[in-house]
Amino acid sequence: MPPKKRVAPKKTVSFSDDENMMRARQLNSKKHQADIYGPPVYVKKSLLTVPVHLIALLYYYIKLSEDFDNVRLLYGLIPMQIAYLAAQFNRSTVYGHKILRLKLSLVPISLGAALLLTLPCMLIIVLMGAPVRMLLKETWLLAAHCCFLAFPAVYSVFNCDFKVGIFKKYYISIAIGCWVSCIVIPLDWDRDWQQWPTPLIVGAYTGAFVGYSLCPYL
Amino acid sequence: MNKRLLVLLVLELVAILTFSAGFFPQKSVLQGDAEFNYQPEAHRGISPKFDKMVLVVIDALRSDFVFQKDMSQFQFVHKLLNKGHAWGYTAYSNPPTVTLPRLKGITTGSTPNFLDAILNVAEDDVSSNLKEQDSWLRQFHMHQKKIKFYGDDTWLKLFPPDFFDETDGTNSFFVSDFEEVDLNVTRHLPQQLQSQDSWDVLILHYLGLDHIGHKGGAFSSFMPPKHREMDSVIEQIYNAVDENTLICVMGDHGMNDLGNHGGSSAGETSAALVFISKLLGKYEKPLAQQGKNIPLASNSPEYNYLTKVNQIDFVPTIATLFNFPIPKNSIGVLVPDFLKLLSAEDAKTKLIDNYHQLLSISGESPKEFDDSDAFFGEMRAIQSELAKTATDYNYPLLGIGLLTLLIVSLVAFFSAWTSFSSSFGLLLLLGTSLLLSFSTFGSSFVEEEHQIWWWLTIALVGSSYIKAPHELTDHLTILTLLRLIRGWNNSGQKFVYEYTLHDLLKQYYHVEWLLITATIFTVQFQGRAKGFFAFQYSFLVSVLCLVYKATWSIVNNEQVPAWLQHVCLSSYSIVNGIHKNEVNLSNALVPMARLFFQVTAAVIAVEVTRHQLKPNGQRFFEEIHGHVSTLLILQTSSANIPQFLAFHILSRKITSLWLRRKWSFPVLMTVSLVLQNLTFFQFGNTNSIATVSLTNAYNGVSENYNIYVVGALMCVSNYAPSIYWSLSCLKTLFLTSTQPKWKIFLDSRLPSFLFYCLFGCFLLGSCVILRYHLFIWSVFSPKLCYYVSWNLFMNAVVAWLFEGTIVALY
Repeated sequence: MPPKKRVAPKKTVSFSDDENMMRARQLNSKKHQADIYGPPVYVKKSLLTVPVHLIALLYYYIKLSEDFDNVRLLYGLIPMQIAYLAAQFNRSTVYGHKILRLKLSLVPISLGAALLLTLPCMLIIVLMGAPVRMLLKETWLLAAHCCFLAFPAVYSVFNCDFKVGIFKKYYISIAIGCWVSCIVIPLDWDRDWQQWPTPLIVGAYTGAFVGYSLCPYL
Repeated sequence: MNKRLLVLLVLELVAILTFSAGFFPQKSVLQGDAEFNYQPEAHRGISPKFDKMVLVVIDALRSDFVFQKDMSQFQFVHKLLNKGHAWGYTAYSNPPTVTLPRLKGITTGSTPNFLDAILNVAEDDVSSNLKEQDSWLRQFHMHQKKIKFYGDDTWLKLFPPDFFDETDGTNSFFVSDFEEVDLNVTRHLPQQLQSQDSWDVLILHYLGLDHIGHKGGAFSSFMPPKHREMDSVIEQIYNAVDENTLICVMGDHGMNDLGNHGGSSAGETSAALVFISKLLGKYEKPLAQQGKNIPLASNSPEYNYLTKVNQIDFVPTIATLFNFPIPKNSIGVLVPDFLKLLSAEDAKTKLIDNYHQLLSISGESPKEFDDSDAFFGEMRAIQSELAKTATDYNYPLLGIGLLTLLIVSLVAFFSAWTSFSSSFGLLLLLGTSLLLSFSTFGSSFVEEEHQIWWWLTIALVGSSYIKAPHELTDHLTILTLLRLIRGWNNSGQKFVYEYTLHDLLKQYYHVEWLLITATIFTVQFQGRAKGFFAFQYSFLVSVLCLVYKATWSIVNNEQVPAWLQHVCLSSYSIVNGIHKNEVNLSNALVPMARLFFQVTAAVIAVEVTRHQLKPNGQRFFEEIHGHVSTLLILQTSSANIPQFLAFHILSRKITSLWLRRKWSFPVLMTVSLVLQNLTFFQFGNTNSIATVSLTNAYNGVSENYNIYVVGALMCVSNYAPSIYWSLSCLKTLFLTSTQPKWKIFLDSRLPSFLFYCLFGCFLLGSCVILRYHLFIWSVFSPKLCYYVSWNLFMNAVVAWLFEGTIVALY
């Protein structure tokens, strides 16, 4: 049943809900590129980027919630990711030799983008092997988790004038997390946590944790 | 290096075969004939309850075919069951659930070993003979009873001819015949029932029901009429015999809903068992039958209807009723209900005799019990303990095989280490091999191997995309095609999806046949520019293939659109010069398939000659690949054929990616391996013997068939997708050849050889380590068989012999 998922890195651009803004920013970025051609965007190597809240959420999901409630987990994830972005991730993202301030207007936009991204993400999950006619709601929830796990990276893509390349690593790490976790699905242990999509959600969180912690070093 | 690889290949095959010879040994059996174990004199005074027995074995008669309302059409048997003249049971038949091992179980009362499942296919085998082994047939024979036998000739293979007074064997291998196999048995019945003095035991073995299952599954439209036919046979016998005759109706094994058997699922192991006699009406019905109206309306997913017994319990029960010693190797426990037929004292004697007979096998010392229930409890415990006892392994052979394979693997590894130019390719290959290797230690990973291949495929597509992010459309196309292939069939044991493309196509057969037509023509023409002559024969081959597949489906009651039926009828009437109304399609199948094979062989010969006279370069591979693919399509069941269209596009995309991305050849060969295995499983194959499909093994084979031809056709039809990919990647490999052809060929053989070696080391290792595992016979041994066949057929015959020949002619 194995479905693996991967957030399409380049999709960010095509699914942006604000074409005008996107073009304007691309024009801007061309101006910038002239003077800062070296490393225009990067994430600082710092302990600050370690997303501790993901571990907490995983702990809640595995140990405390008895029924692996994906919806409640998602409600917990979204505010925590916003807080993580504001307090930790954005403070470590360097764009053109300076750390940009958090643009509050961009937060809802990128939240909306992340929500829209769930659809292409779901398509990719299905392409990678998720069932088509059954468990659609679960697959969508998995896509939502993945997209909101990627939310800080999505925001940064907006904030840093669509320098997609640097944030690709974050999407890939989430995807690899999901992919690796699929290995438990065929086992004949008949446990609750082998139900679709529980192992993949755990994998996505682990992948995101590793990704946000280590990607600056790569 | 080049010759060394060939030597290594031979050594590897020898190693694997040596290991298999040690792993599938004969079971140790007690020789000699049984005596009464407990108070022999007491038995002599007991008179047999029955004089004569009629055993009706209906192949693959699953329990619900007799007892369940929606499935069963055995109206007469239902009447007898309700009247109490028949006692019904669900009999658990030990896997492997194929005819030969089951017959051994039914006659000797022992549990079969895995080797029997394979010998079931090998016709002229003598090692499975039961001449020297004690069985109820032997006991009847020794007691001067006359045995007559009609039906499946597996019996004649098992027992020496002097056991039988009269025989007429029918062959079980020609599965497309539902009618004649059974009529050949039934035609003897009237005469035998008239002259009942001429026999004491009459054995009838009907194969038709099993054949229907193999062709159309448990819900086939041919099933109900077959039930009624079998029911009327039972009625005929019942009405003709007196109350001193016991009629036993049983299935030798069950079937799953697809009609296959061999494995250990509930459907396959639940056979029906019914004892019928007018005498039984004088006694109380079995507990499970009381107050129930049969056929039962309720549906049991585990196929448990009425009382559950072991199929081998039949042996001591028969021995008790006919008052002869229980065969020596039997581990059956007599069915408690039948003790009612004996007086209390005799019943006790028989029960203790059965108990002592079990002890003589297990080697324990007898205990005393007060009531019969305690006896039965203890006997059941001994029985399940004995059933588990593994066969003796031949450890020296295992050691030699494993050690040789280890050495071969090491040498192969070092050759690869030194000769592969790209470390990425080596890494990819080693990763793939090791991942698969480690999976052999988990029974669920062996059962769900297709998931691992899919997992690897996703990793390959993903990593390829990360390396070449600008080829988004190509990667999306590849992923979509792969997903379609994955959604085509269910594989493995754990997950069953209802909406597979296979089922959808069966439902929307108009679309199915349009796709099949498109596939056949696309694959044959391959988008090549053709000369006038070449166009004509390609067209002829395509039409032949399409008409054959369509006719086959019409004959087998599958739905085929009207236009295609019209095409079939017209083409036959043109070929034979008769009117359309006189065409008999079922007679046209064999000549049609033969014509196809002959034309294909001729066309390939023409291509080869043309290439020899005027070298054609890359076109040669294209032509051969096109013709071989059409042959593979002929050997594929209809709903799977459109997969070849997906393969065709996929192979184009992979070739273009290969040319642009300049992968090294180990990468391409790893991709080839992954695709060979993935498509093998997505054609509906699994690692269980049950899914070996015989459906296409008889194309063009008449009734006097040759076992080797059928075997070869069976291999080709089961490995069709893998052959396609093996050949397709060879074609791709020669696209940009600058090196000598033999160097390319031999270099490209090394990666898959290394895979087979490494995987083999771990698989053989896990078979040795897990030799006492619960699933050793149902999971690991079948996997070992599949591994041997991959090595012998896919690696040695296809990848080396066949492709080597093509390269030699290139």
